[in-house]
Amino acid sequence: MATTITKSDTLVGKRIRRREDPRLITGTATYVDDIQMPGMHHAVIVRSPHGAARIKRINIKKAQELPGVAAVFIGKDTEKVGPVPCGASLPGLRVPHHHILAIDRVYFVGHPVAVVVATDRYIARDAADLVEVDWEPLPTVTDPEKALAPGAAAVHPEWPDNTAFTYHQEGGDVDKAFAQADVVVKQRITSQRLIPSAMETRGVVAEWHTGDRALTLHSSTQIPHLLRTILAQMLGLEENRLRVVTPEVGGGFGSKLNVYAEEALMGFVAMKIGKPIKWIESRRENFTCTIQGRGHVDYYEVAAKRDGTILGIKLKLIQDLGAYHQLLTPAIPTLSVLMMPGIYNCQNIRADIVGVFTNAVPTDAYRGAGRPEATHGIERMVDILAAELKMDPADIRFKNFVSNDAFPYATATGLTYDSGNYAAPLVKAMDMVSYKKLRQEQAQARTDGRFLGIGISTYGEICALGPSPATPAGGWESATVKIEPSGKVTVMTGASPHGQGEETTFAQIAADELGVGIDDVLVVHGDTAIVQYGIGTFGSRATAVGGAAMYYAIQELKEKIKKYGAMLLESDNVSFANGACVDNKTGKSVPLAQIAAASYRAMKLPPNTEPGLVATYFWEPPNFTFPFGAHIVVTEVDRETGAIALKRYVAVDDCGKIINPLIVDGQVHGGVVQGLGQALWEQAVYDDTGQLITGEFMDYALPKASNIPWLETGHTETPSPVNPLGVKGVGEAGTIGCSPAVVNSVVDALSPLGVRHIDMPMTPEKIWNLVQAGGKA
Amino acid sequence: MKISGSYTVPAPRERAYQLLQDPGILAKCMPGTDQLHKLAEDEYDMKMKVVIASIGGQFGGKVRLEDQHPPESFKLIVEGSGKIGFLKGEGLLNLAANGDLTEVSFDGEVQVGGTIASVGQRLLDTTAKLIIKKFFQKLSEVANN
Repeated sequence: MATTITKSDTLVGKRIRRREDPRLITGTATYVDDIQMPGMHHAVIVRSPHGAARIKRINIKKAQELPGVAAVFIGKDTEKVGPVPCGASLPGLRVPHHHILAIDRVYFVGHPVAVVVATDRYIARDAADLVEVDWEPLPTVTDPEKALAPGAAAVHPEWPDNTAFTYHQEGGDVDKAFAQADVVVKQRITSQRLIPSAMETRGVVAEWHTGDRALTLHSSTQIPHLLRTILAQMLGLEENRLRVVTPEVGGGFGSKLNVYAEEALMGFVAMKIGKPIKWIESRRENFTCTIQGRGHVDYYEVAAKRDGTILGIKLKLIQDLGAYHQLLTPAIPTLSVLMMPGIYNCQNIRADIVGVFTNAVPTDAYRGAGRPEATHGIERMVDILAAELKMDPADIRFKNFVSNDAFPYATATGLTYDSGNYAAPLVKAMDMVSYKKLRQEQAQARTDGRFLGIGISTYGEICALGPSPATPAGGWESATVKIEPSGKVTVMTGASPHGQGEETTFAQIAADELGVGIDDVLVVHGDTAIVQYGIGTFGSRATAVGGAAMYYAIQELKEKIKKYGAMLLESDNVSFANGACVDNKTGKSVPLAQIAAASYRAMKLPPNTEPGLVATYFWEPPNFTFPFGAHIVVTEVDRETGAIALKRYVAVDDCGKIINPLIVDGQVHGGVVQGLGQALWEQAVYDDTGQLITGEFMDYALPKASNIPWLETGHTETPSPVNPLGVKGVGEAGTIGCSPAVVNSVVDALSPLGVRHIDMPMTPEKIWNLVQAGGKA
Repeated sequence: MKISGSYTVPAPRERAYQLLQDPGILAKCMPGTDQLHKLAEDEYDMKMKVVIASIGGQFGGKVRLEDQHPPESFKLIVEGSGKIGFLKGEGLLNLAANGDLTEVSFDGEVQVGGTIASVGQRLLDTTAKLIIKKFFQKLSEVANN
């Protein structure tokens, strides 16, 4: 038996560069549009230019006659394909039947009505223009509050009140809290519609294997297995004859946590024409046809004592749903309600949601999904309360934080916060900006007539989604860990990533656990024919749930490794560490590669032990995790132009144990940039007739690198007791913490004018008008 | 989108009114329009080329004249659609005599949809104004001849 060199340096906690990046930045990665197949056809979809219209007649003759066109399908052809599903269930939820192609009526601009299939993408595009649709335009409504008013146009004629659902949640004694209050502050706060804008638009390549009666469907999705289950139902295929492959995914931010009409449509087309079919969403389609985020109008009331103690919170939440429910549309605002109290000790809450149909593309999960809206609401209200009571916004937060000895902490909304030290990130962030000194500088700036603002947000999140009973489709995650005969390690995760760096972080964890090098570990994902069933990557869950599943699979393997080690070492007392089994008595050891080889060669087996080293683990988390943090933003408003200068941005996030600080910083950076986008620039605007008038990047202001200040990040580490890794999740933290900090900062800057609230986005035009009007909106 | 404005046409009111009712003149003055084919009394088939922002294309549709009160006022209705979307416009034109000249004021609403709305919105207002300006410039030339 050889004595091996022990490997004691751990990888977890190190700033290791992403192993996926070389292929991404050298153009050697494969996205859906890179897939080429012999005989592949191309699809272009004909869509409604109207916000609402009856389809009187469709004439496809001219399109069919164009040379190169293989087929044209309309709603009547696809009538038997199952509806686009809504995975969320709420009591009394009205669910419109969502055909993959509209049959006789369209409900939003971009609603698909026909698909043209040709040998070439350009021919298909030209042929799409030859499809003649005779429309009868109908009245529309796009503003959710107007949609609720009597006499509004009915989005779905069967429900003239445009109400998809109402939802009430209450905890504690709200009426008593408000009766006892010294002060009540109220504010209407909006969270505008946003366009997720993943770098890679959606795309599908579908191939029907006639002989096998099997469909292979490549899609840029966050949920390959759930997509397979649902598409099989929609297409009437046996689930084991549908293979979903998710190649490289160029971002999703929640917009690919869905099942779209086009995915089923391409499956349908492939089965009809018997040839591979490719559909790549254009950027203009992406603007009008991929789900959008947010879309809230919130009415808040907060009751408090004179000393700043928050007693109760009331919220009336109007959610703009769009014309249909996509996969999770109605569930998103319920997450806002769960998150309502933020990280403050307030046991009296009342929330009423109204889900409203409008003639617009559906809203659904977008980075943070319901939690940025809730955090924006409570963090704005805390600042408004502080201003009302003339308290420092930091002091009022310290006063109301759930205290460190209160965990696990049961909220009035039914959650149990796992662990927290809420003051720590705020203290750290205040140190980083030299808060006291900064307030002095601000006082000086004000006497000089400058608008300098300091904004704080202290946020909490619900991450690691989540226990199965709290999710629509299972909240567990799966992993298979294979130690190959050579000792190399293959990890198959069900949490199919779309930019989270799991090939790096999961490999770090696996390498440490098994005592191998990071390059010995390959992380495989995103192919339902290879990877065991999994849920997917969203809700900051990949590491906390998927990583934990992998951890447990490895623990099972370790037991088996020890059995083989004991056999090979002829010992009854072995341990496994640093990639080798060691006889605890003699100190002799046998390396993992040798153990693996023996397990597959199987000349001899340990008692009651099978050959091979493979373990699969499905892990059900007992709870969500609850990361938190504090962001402080310093802004200065130019009174002449209304421009907002971001002078400093400090983000201190506590996401539990950090696996890779480089990736955590990257996630925070990306999240903050999207938060800044909402706070300052981005807004999807529909006119009254249902036209999206911000339909390209010339009109929809996505942040550019030059708009972003240096982001100063810091961390505190409060491990989660929920999973064995102690991790909480960080994918959405930056977005959730950002927007209220920025708005609080600008409101603080303009507070000498009496400004108390500004709705997003805070464009220079809006700010200039506000300053010109002396602070009166 | 609401549009309104006024232009001075170098012709007496009766003549100005006549010019504005003449499909040949209208076709000549509307930028991007070749000709108007009569479909019915006061209703014409129209083909119009529109370029706005990064997109351009042909609109096919109808021009209709309604509520005529010669020589004071009439309603002009334009409806068209094409590869880049659709447009619908309705406006009331008022003619007021000003010596040998005529003050033509208009007040109307234009609605667009499809790509032209999502991509061209920010230039719609200025483009509409430009088209109207060109129309009256051309009309003035015709009136002067």
